[in-house]
Amino acid sequence: MKSKLKIFRAERDWSQAQLAEALGVSRQTINAIETGKYDPSLPLAFKMAQLFECSIEDIFIPDEN
Amino acid sequence: MKTEERRSFGNEEIRTIIMTAITGGAFGLLYGYGFEFSLWLGVLVGALFGVAIGFRISKRPPRMEYPMAIFRRIMMAATFFLLTSFGYSYLLDQNLSQAQQYWAAALPLLGWSALIVGIGMAIASLDEMQRRIQTEAIAIGFAGTAIFVGGYALFQFSGLPEVNVGIVIMAMSVFWLAGKLWTLWRYR
Repeated sequence: MKSKLKIFRAERDWSQAQLAEALGVSRQTINAIETGKYDPSLPLAFKMAQLFECSIEDIFIPDEN
Repeated sequence: MKTEERRSFGNEEIRTIIMTAITGGAFGLLYGYGFEFSLWLGVLVGALFGVAIGFRISKRPPRMEYPMAIFRRIMMAATFFLLTSFGYSYLLDQNLSQAQQYWAAALPLLGWSALIVGIGMAIASLDEMQRRIQTEAIAIGFAGTAIFVGGYALFQFSGLPEVNVGIVIMAMSVFWLAGKLWTLWRYR
């Protein structure tokens, strides 16, 4: 799954550490989500959507198979 | 993006250094007793070693930043384990009866239990991806140990010497570490 998390974060000029703190996860988790190596759980995805005031689909794009 | 920054020393760091010093001292005590040199020297060298590790961890925390309180809790459990192991070694040298020796042998199990509870609490406090890394590392550790033990048993039938069961713990630790490094690399 691809994500636009990096773009959303850059728009707000937040560092990975700041975003991680706001979401209550580690910076490593944010990095893995941004690079597409880890897909977050539904509760975490909802938390992100709530934080960026958008829908989950705005942040994450499913892989085309 | 590099977000790591050098930290100044506060109460948190001092508590960590004290805890690692105590753990180091307990390790030195066990080591000194086991290898029959001065216990005080063992405690002193162990504590100094602990201070060095605590200082290093406080100054530059590991890449995966666990809350230091969790690290200290594990150190506390490890200290308890080392002290019960020391108690076991000491009691075995005191000409105990067979029944008393069995009770003495059960002593380190209390330390093991504390260590397992500490590690369990640490894993429970991780975030979802860190927990996945740990779960995968434990799975690799478990599978690797099973292959190692099962494989060695077959070689033993073919004539290899019997080994101490303690090697299972060693194998488990090595395979867990390998699993952890592998999963950390995967999610880097």
